Amino acid sequence: MSERSDSSEILNSLEKYNLDISDYLPSHSGPKLVLNFNKITTVSEVEGIILKGREIENGIIADIVIKEGTVLEDPIHLCFGVNKETGLQEIFPRIIAEDNSSVTLQAHCSFPNAKNLTHKMFGHIYVGKNCKFVYNETHYHGEQNGATVAPVSHVYVGENSYFENNFFLTQGTIGRMKIQIDIYAFKDSIINSNVKAFGKNSLDSIRVRDAVFLEGENARSIIKMKAAAIGGGEVMMFGITEGNAANTTGHVDCTEIVKDRGSRCRAIPLIRATDESCHITHEASLGKVDSAQLNALMARGLDEDEATDLIIKNML
Amino acid sequence: MSSDVLLSVKDISILSEDRQCNIVDTISFDVMEGSIHSIIGPNGAGKSTLGYAIMGVYHPCSGKIFFKGKDITDLSITERAKRGITLAWQTPARFDGLSVYDYIGVGVKDKNLIEQRVREALEIVNLDPDIYIKRKVDANLSGGERKRIELASVIAMRPKLVILDEAEAGMDLIVLESFMDIFNKIKELGMTILLITHREDIGMVSDNSTLIWDGKVLANGHFRDIMVLYCQKAGLKKICNRTLFNQFDECIDKIIEEETRENKI
Repeated sequence: MSERSDSSEILNSLEKYNLDISDYLPSHSGPKLVLNFNKITTVSEVEGIILKGREIENGIIADIVIKEGTVLEDPIHLCFGVNKETGLQEIFPRIIAEDNSSVTLQAHCSFPNAKNLTHKMFGHIYVGKNCKFVYNETHYHGEQNGATVAPVSHVYVGENSYFENNFFLTQGTIGRMKIQIDIYAFKDSIINSNVKAFGKNSLDSIRVRDAVFLEGENARSIIKMKAAAIGGGEVMMFGITEGNAANTTGHVDCTEIVKDRGSRCRAIPLIRATDESCHITHEASLGKVDSAQLNALMARGLDEDEATDLIIKNML
Repeated sequence: MSSDVLLSVKDISILSEDRQCNIVDTISFDVMEGSIHSIIGPNGAGKSTLGYAIMGVYHPCSGKIFFKGKDITDLSITERAKRGITLAWQTPARFDGLSVYDYIGVGVKDKNLIEQRVREALEIVNLDPDIYIKRKVDANLSGGERKRIELASVIAMRPKLVILDEAEAGMDLIVLESFMDIFNKIKELGMTILLITHREDIGMVSDNSTLIWDGKVLANGHFRDIMVLYCQKAGLKKICNRTLFNQFDECIDKIIEEETRENKI
């Protein structure tokens, strides 16, 4: 228990969601930054990684630098948690991945007791040339619909680099959530952005704006947005891809399932091409579960509700 | 093979979506318990529509379907599945995130038997359980792999009646050769097969056949007799030129030659 020190409450809340917390304990040698409300409880660096945190009035500024040529197999862990029922947490991460580096950032935002709690993030990520950068962010907002979460990220992906974004909010309730991700992709870069969200009741409202601007020639991107709204929940997915340079290719794919009276799903794909050699496409599907999937499971004995639940659970 | 009728289709008709014509027109036939019964016919004859109507995906505008003597015409897909009917789809659905293990195991009633049944079923369709059990039933599977997983899922379920809708489509030659073994294994496990196909080499395994043409039953009977009729109707002289069934091919040739000669005389 002593290992957990000030972080114990937050780590316990992550354990509740079956997450292996051993990577967050101080005894774990990997790089990490753990925050309990607006207090930094753990910071640990490894060779090639600079991790600095500074507390401010309602949150922190976190500076993370992945030095040139650093290749990490284990992820860098970021844990932004609040166990309080009310309050404001503001996070300003500034992340720089220098040329030829390869890392995964695993961020967990846990607000298990939120009743009137606001979490805001305004992050900048700069990815250099020839990098591989994977950013995973998973949220847990408790069971009381009391969180308001509004992360905004600006990401710049350099020449010949790969950037992957995975944002998941599928366990517990959501509360109110507004996500904005703007990714600028330069020459020969590849962007893979995935967002999954699950609105479970009438107090859950999700708005996601996931945008990729293909600014360098041969840049490629795919945005995959998957969501479900049940029990009166509301989801709006706004997928944007702009092809602004020669031979850029982008695709926006949005799948949303609606179940139960009062639930709402909306999808607004916006695609734009300003060069004749661009190829930008979109595909969206909203409403009930695909009938072929439904029939396949019902033919094995599941009823329509059971089949729908299984499909949603696995999709998200 | 038992002499009991498992499935009885009585005069069913299914209207097209625009309600202008019958896709299936007053079709009747019986499927005996423990048999392999094939539905033969050209593309567009109404074979798959008939299979879907038996599964409950489509509902007939007239006629009745009886399963083990009980009228199931108005039952849902789920209710029919619970009574022991299932279908392996011609183009099986793909699912984001759903594992092969969970998909095959979904129809196994005794949850303690899931792992055993899933492994056994994968082995029957010649897929290594250790490799496939954790894979997803998504776009990363090839068409042939997905079809074999579909077959495995009906085998694991152990229904009384399996409707196989062109199960052979998209399979490679190696798997096609093992199809007879797969069908026999399904039979050994106590299941009755309703085989929808337009491949003569696959249909050969059947005990009885029904030939459908333009939504109507042309004939019920033994596969060989039905094939002769099919050839005549289609104006085909030679229909089986696959090496696997040369013997049957020659037999058909001979019958057609004889009939042609008789007609000339």
